[in-house]
Parts: sequence; structure tokens; C-alpha cells
Amino acid sequence: MLSDHAHEAGESAYRGSPEEGVAYFRGFGVDESLFRAAFTAALARGGEWADLYFEHGVSQGISLKDHSVDSAYTSITLGVGIRVVSGDQQGYAYTEDLSREAVVRAASSAALIAESASAVAKFSVEGFEVKGRPNRYPIAQEWMGVEVSEKVPLLNQLDQAVMSADPRITKANIGMGHSTTAILIVESTGAMHFDRLPMTRLSLSCTAEEGDLRESNGYNLAGRRGFEFINEERLETLKSEAIQRTLFLLDAEQAPAGSMPVVLAAGASGILLHEAIGHGMEADFNRKGISVYSDRLNTRIAPKGVTIVDDGTRDHDRGAVNVDDEGVEGQRTVLVEDGILRSYMHDRISAAHYGVEPTGNGRRESFKHTPVPRMRSTYMCAGEYDPTEIIKSVKRGVYAETFTNGQVMIGAGDFTFYIKTGYMIEDGELTRPIKDTNIIGNGPEVLERTDMVGTDFKYDEGGWVCGKDGQSVPVSLGMPSVRVSEMTVGGVNE
Amino acid sequence: MSSLLDQARRVADQARALGAQEAKVVASRSRGVDVEWRDGQLERLNDTTDQSLSVSLYVDGRFSSHSTSDLRPESVEVFLKQAIDLTRYLEEDLARSLPDPEGYEGRPEIDLELYDPSYEQVTGEQRRSEVAELETLAREASHHLGDKVVSVSSSVGDQYAEGARVHTNGFEGARSGTTFGASVSVNLKEADGKRPVGGGYTYRRHRADLRSFPEVVAEAVENAEGKLGAQKIKTGSYTVIIKNKAISRILSALLSPLSGAALHNKRSMWEGKVNTQVVSPLLTLRDRPHVARGLGSALWDGDGYVTHERPIIEEGVLMTYLIGDYYAKKMTQERGQSVNRTGSALHNFDWSYGDQDLQALLADIGDGVLIDRFLGGNSNGTTGKLSFGCGGHMVRDGQLAEPLTEVNMSGNIASLWSSLSIIGSDGYPEGSANSPSCVFEGVQLSGV
Repeated sequence: MLSDHAHEAGESAYRGSPEEGVAYFRGFGVDESLFRAAFTAALARGGEWADLYFEHGVSQGISLKDHSVDSAYTSITLGVGIRVVSGDQQGYAYTEDLSREAVVRAASSAALIAESASAVAKFSVEGFEVKGRPNRYPIAQEWMGVEVSEKVPLLNQLDQAVMSADPRITKANIGMGHSTTAILIVESTGAMHFDRLPMTRLSLSCTAEEGDLRESNGYNLAGRRGFEFINEERLETLKSEAIQRTLFLLDAEQAPAGSMPVVLAAGASGILLHEAIGHGMEADFNRKGISVYSDRLNTRIAPKGVTIVDDGTRDHDRGAVNVDDEGVEGQRTVLVEDGILRSYMHDRISAAHYGVEPTGNGRRESFKHTPVPRMRSTYMCAGEYDPTEIIKSVKRGVYAETFTNGQVMIGAGDFTFYIKTGYMIEDGELTRPIKDTNIIGNGPEVLERTDMVGTDFKYDEGGWVCGKDGQSVPVSLGMPSVRVSEMTVGGVNE
Repeated sequence: MSSLLDQARRVADQARALGAQEAKVVASRSRGVDVEWRDGQLERLNDTTDQSLSVSLYVDGRFSSHSTSDLRPESVEVFLKQAIDLTRYLEEDLARSLPDPEGYEGRPEIDLELYDPSYEQVTGEQRRSEVAELETLAREASHHLGDKVVSVSSSVGDQYAEGARVHTNGFEGARSGTTFGASVSVNLKEADGKRPVGGGYTYRRHRADLRSFPEVVAEAVENAEGKLGAQKIKTGSYTVIIKNKAISRILSALLSPLSGAALHNKRSMWEGKVNTQVVSPLLTLRDRPHVARGLGSALWDGDGYVTHERPIIEEGVLMTYLIGDYYAKKMTQERGQSVNRTGSALHNFDWSYGDQDLQALLADIGDGVLIDRFLGGNSNGTTGKLSFGCGGHMVRDGQLAEPLTEVNMSGNIASLWSSLSIIGSDGYPEGSANSPSCVFEGVQLSGV
């Protein structure tokens, strides 16, 4: 299975240098004495454990509009987040000033969470040790050595190719961005974890005009890679997808309204899993009893044949993590196995609450945020149906191909996702092109109605971003073709 | 405050000394504390301190923008040097220049009261006591729901933020402000396993202006209870009231295509529509930047220009685009005719309020649908097509009837706002939009 292949690839990767992380942050005045001072303050009021999350990130990007690469940005982040944990409770403080005084002050603020705690565990670790980790995103060519003068022609060439591809394309905006974020996680047990997370992003948006009609759309690609991510194949994919998706809209209409079968195309339809199921299986919602899946562990929540995985081990994937943002190694977590809910996605706090091992899902946007259970790469494994057979099985319904966004109400389970492009299915055939149609459903009900799963599993390489608790993290999606026997289509009356 | 202004001046001078002809610098810092409480105990305590420096550089006709939170002097110098070097590699953009300093002149001497001195008196004990009180009140207010209540959470927080802006062609400004907030969520459980949640919140510049906790709690309980037993709607066309707190979703869809970026990129349904009737003549929307204690209040905008009260829509007629300095110059250059800078910032809204509160609106429409929340969906600013998830209640004989869920609203943003038939009197007290409940006719809703 494809998912097994991904798992093996991650496991076979090399392990990083233990000293690398400490040396990296020493340049910012970070050393063992700072750790000791921070932990002494953090645990002074009796917190059970604490961790420090040092982060240094550099992002850079250039963009083209009106046939000119005329703007650029750089963003540098530096800071430390200090967390003190007492049971399910956590105190958190961060500072962008890494002086001892500022870090100790922040640690003392975080320590206040444990003001009323009875247990007092003074900090008394003898030494700190950097733990090894896999490397799921080795870089072939670092961005650091790539001059802007090398990047500019790439965007200009792409612009020329886009503008000459079809006379109906009248505008093109192109963005190329990359970031590298170094993190050093120090636990009050003395364990340390260092990682460098790369990300490269390419985006192209187009406007097309034909008579009085005007439409805009685009495409983007992202992955944990260096400059090698920008190759001819990806630039061609970016160009052809953005143009095709924009021109498609000129002929498309909103879908008819009502309740009908929906066939989700392989790939980006993983947004269904993300919204309908994924968030509800994040363990913080479940330990609080506020998820629709709170009492459903080890019960059937989907028909046989439905297996859903959240995976942090796929090499170079946008959602891949060598270690999560609490220092737990990235893993492949089977959430739903043949229709049975097997596991939630855990951070350390929820894992302790449930008495299980953390699953490596403790993620955060930056040092300014506490880690919470988050998805990584969420996908449904391939099933047994030929995708053409799935389409043929629908008398009248919607075929959803590309998407822009989705949202969920965790407790009620209601979710939506927005179809940017697709087709009507009439008498088992793809017919009229459709666009700009929202789909709404209820997670558990939609899972129960997922009655055909295709053989054509596909990952999506788009730059998906997941938002939760005011934090954004990169994620990815995958899906085979799937039929949901009934969903509400937010179209127009015919 | 003066230290931030000094820092911004220093960095602007440094940028010029290193080779930039002009620069815009913004230095900012903030401190915030949030306390979260859940089911009888403290859940999370957040204490945050932020600092950052943003620099826009104009180098040999080229432009770039940069930010950093590494403010060590040696780092800032390297940061600026590298940023200037990077800018030199870009292509020229003749529309990139600092705004005309004439726009900086005439800044009014008004105290917007953005800072609440009582901020300095807030203690950790107070926050803990208030966040616990919120839960207690919510438990009492939801007592009648019995074991349907599975969790109650609350939060209180406050923040102080200050910032300084310097443009090398003469603009200087510094401002500071406080915000205070409190919220509560009530999670319920239904027999079928669904766990609807209802929330209430209050958020203000001054602590004394926060809504009373019983009012916030009542909103949360009503919101949660109103979702129990929700059903799907029958697909069709309805008279719809969109509740005041939900209006912002369709308001932003209406206003987003007015931006300079949307117009320049040919992504605006409103192109060529200024001074024409674009929506119902009932709608008048004014932007008021100088409201005392207003969440959106400001004396200058992102270009450094002095802000003024202005109409956005007057009796359904579109009065202005929202074009900042750069896009005005860019479009002027591209089109060969002058495009005015109108200012891109929006602050606090004033509406053409009617005289009916929500109860009166319900009675007025008799039968229809009340939408009190949106969930996902999107709108297309180029064509105006919209499709949003939403929920609420059926309205029968002027009363709220069965709750609704999994509803989709679809149509066109211009048509929707043109079908506006009544504007309520009930401006929502939170936020800067001050939006009232509004009645729309013939709205397409889908369900079963």
C-alpha cells in the first residue's frame, strides 16, 4: 500500500547530528545555564514538567505581477516559548528577548499555572542531551546559496509561458517563497530535540476574460524541500493547472441546489477527511468531551473498507515532522481501521489524560503558541472500486474536483467545503462543468454514507494550511475517488 | 512610547545610510495576558510579550518589505544590509514611492481614548476570579438543561499594544492602546451524540465598557440551546433575517472587491461601478475613523494619511473604492489616466439603522428563516457568486420555530444586497462593524 511505502521511506532516513541544535542557538546566547535558570523559575511553584521551545525562522519570497518581479519580503522570527504543565493545565509565556532576565521573567509567568498545585517537583536535572531523530526532509540544494538574480528569471519565464498559452488569460501573479525554521525543544527531563523545517512554496493565480465574462483562479504547490523543489516538471504543472482551472470557470455554472450523491475526485478531496473527521479526532476536543467522536473509540464509525490515516512520516511532505513541536517523533497514526475508530491524535497532555503514548501530533504555529493536537498528512487508503464505476453508479449528482477551503463545528460535527471546480453527473456521465458551490454535511453521517472507495489513491501537493485556536500549520491531504450517497449541495434552484 | 519612535527613527536613518533612498519603518511591541478556565479549574494561562520591526525599502526604484523580531543592534544592521542588497536585484516599479507628504498634514488633535489607564490595575487574582465567575454564571444560566451540559469554558484577557511609524519623507506617529475581552462557551450533548456549542463574548478598548457577564452568558446559553434538535431545511427561496452578529460574513463579501489589489488584478465585480446604484437604496454605510474608544479608530492610515469620515455606500450607491497609495499610482501608470488614492483602510461603521429590533423584524416577516451563524463557504469577488454554509431557525407566525442546521445559502453578492428589504435597529455591540440584523427577500437556501 502506498501508505506503507511512505512509512518505510521515513524510517530509512538518516539521523541528525545531536550537537547541531545547541551549536545553532548558542549564537543567540542560548546555553545550558539559560535552560537551568528558565526551568528553575518555571517549576518554582510546583508544575509537574516544563519545556522550552526556541525558534529561529527565516522566510523570504519574491513575487511577479504585471510581468515584473517587483517585490520581495523577508521575515525573521526569534523567540522562546516556555510551558509549565500540571495535569491538564498549562501555563505559557513567550518572549522575543532571549536575555536571561527576559526568559526567567517569562518562565515565572508560566509557572503561575501551578500556584495551587500540591505536588512540587523542583528542577534537578544533571545534564541535557540532544536526542537523535530521523530526517524526513533532507535538502538537496539549500536556498541560502541561491541569489535573487537566479530566481527572477524563473518567474519571468513562467509568466511568459502563461501569457502566451491562451489569449483569454489577461493577468498572472506569481509567488515563490521559502522558509527555514530551526527549533530547539528542551524538556525539564533533560531531553533536547533539534530540527530544521524547510518549506518551499510556488503559487500562480490568473485572470481570464472572454466577452463580458471574467474569472480568476489559481494553483499552488508546496513541500518540505529546498531549491530543488523548483524544477521544470513542477513549473509546468503549476502553469497548466492554474490556466486550466481558470479557463474552466468561464464555461461553468453553480451546481443545482439540494440533497444528492457527491463523488469526490482523488487527491485534494482529502479536505473531506480533514473537516468531516480529522478535527473531531484531535484528542484535546475529546478529552474535554466536546467532540462528536468523544465516546466513539473502538466503535464503528464508517463502513468496512474505510481506513483513514494521519501521517507525519511522508518524506518531504508539507505535513511531515521529524519530531513534533513537543519533541515526540513523527508517526503514522491509523485513526480509522476498516471503519472502526482506533485512535485520536494526541499531544503529550491528551496522551497522559488517556494513558496512551503521544502520537506526534503536538504542533504549533510558532513559539508564540502552545502545542495542541493537529493533523499532519491526512488521507484515506485506497479501496476496491474502479473510479469510472463510481461515476457510473450515480444517476444525478455532483463530481467535486478542486477545492478552496473548508470548516467544521467540532461538537455538532457539521462541516463544509467549497468546490471551486467540478462537474454534474447525469446518468453515470460527467456532464456540465460546475463552480463556486459549497457542500455541507455532518461528519459522522457522511462517514456512514461513504459507500464506495476507489482504487485510485492520490496525494495532493497543494499548500494547504490548517487553522485551529488561532494557529495555522502546514498540512497535506490525500484521497482515492469516493462516493458519498447523499450530501447537501449549496447550489441554485433550477 | 518615545523609545519606540526613537527606534523607528534610528532604523529609518540607518536604512538610508546603508543605501536605501527612502524607507517606511514601523516598530511595535505588546504585552497580553489571557486566562482560560474549564469545568471548575484553570485550563491555561498565557502571558505574551511581543516586539517587532517592519521596514519597507525603496532602493533605486525598487521595493521590498521586511520584518524581524530579532532586535539586537548587530542583527538589525545585518538585516537591513541584506534586505537592501536583495532589493537591488528586483525589477523597477515606478509606482513604488513614499506617499505624498501632503496627505500627512492636518492630523486632528483628538484623544481617541484608545488607552484605558485601569489596565495597570488589573491583577492576576482579578482575572482568575472573573474567569471562574463566568463559568459559575453560565452553569447557573444553563441549569435547566441538566445533564445535556457536558462542558463550560470561559476566558478573560487584556492586552496593551504600542507602535510607532516613521516615513523618511516626513511622517511620524506613535500610538498605544488597550483591549479587554471575556468569553464563555457552553457545550451540550444530544441523544444522537452531537455536541452543539454556543458562545458569547465581549471585547472593548476600555474595561468599564465590557458588556455585563450575565449578558454574555445569556447569549452563550441561548446560542447553544438554540441548536438542540436542529434539522435540515427544505430547499427553496425564503425571506431571511441575518442576525446582527452574523452580518459581517456577507458584509466582507460586499466590500472586499473594492480593494485596490482586486481592481488592479481585474478581480473586482465593482469595477466601473462608483457613483452607480449597486445595492438596495436602504443601505447607507459610513466609515468613521475617529469614534472615541472605537476598536477600529485611528488618526492615520497605512499610508500615513490623515483619516476622515466618509461614505462607502450612500442609499445603495457605491461612493468610493478602497485604493491605497501604491495601487492608485500603479493603476494610473497602467491605464494612462489618473486613478485617485481613496485610502484602503476601514475603521468603524455607521449604518442607516431602522427602528425595528430583532423581535419586531421577526413579527414583520411572519414566516421565513433567521440565520444566526455562517459556517465555511466562500464568495467569488470577480463574479459575485457566493455559497455559504449557515444555520439558524425557521420563523413561523413571527416566532422562532425549529432550529436549522446544514443549510447552504447561495446566489450573488450584488443580488443579495439588492434584495435587502429592512435594516434593523440592533447594531451588534461587539466589534467595529456595528452591524444590525437585516432582512433579505428571496434568498436561495438548500437542504433536503
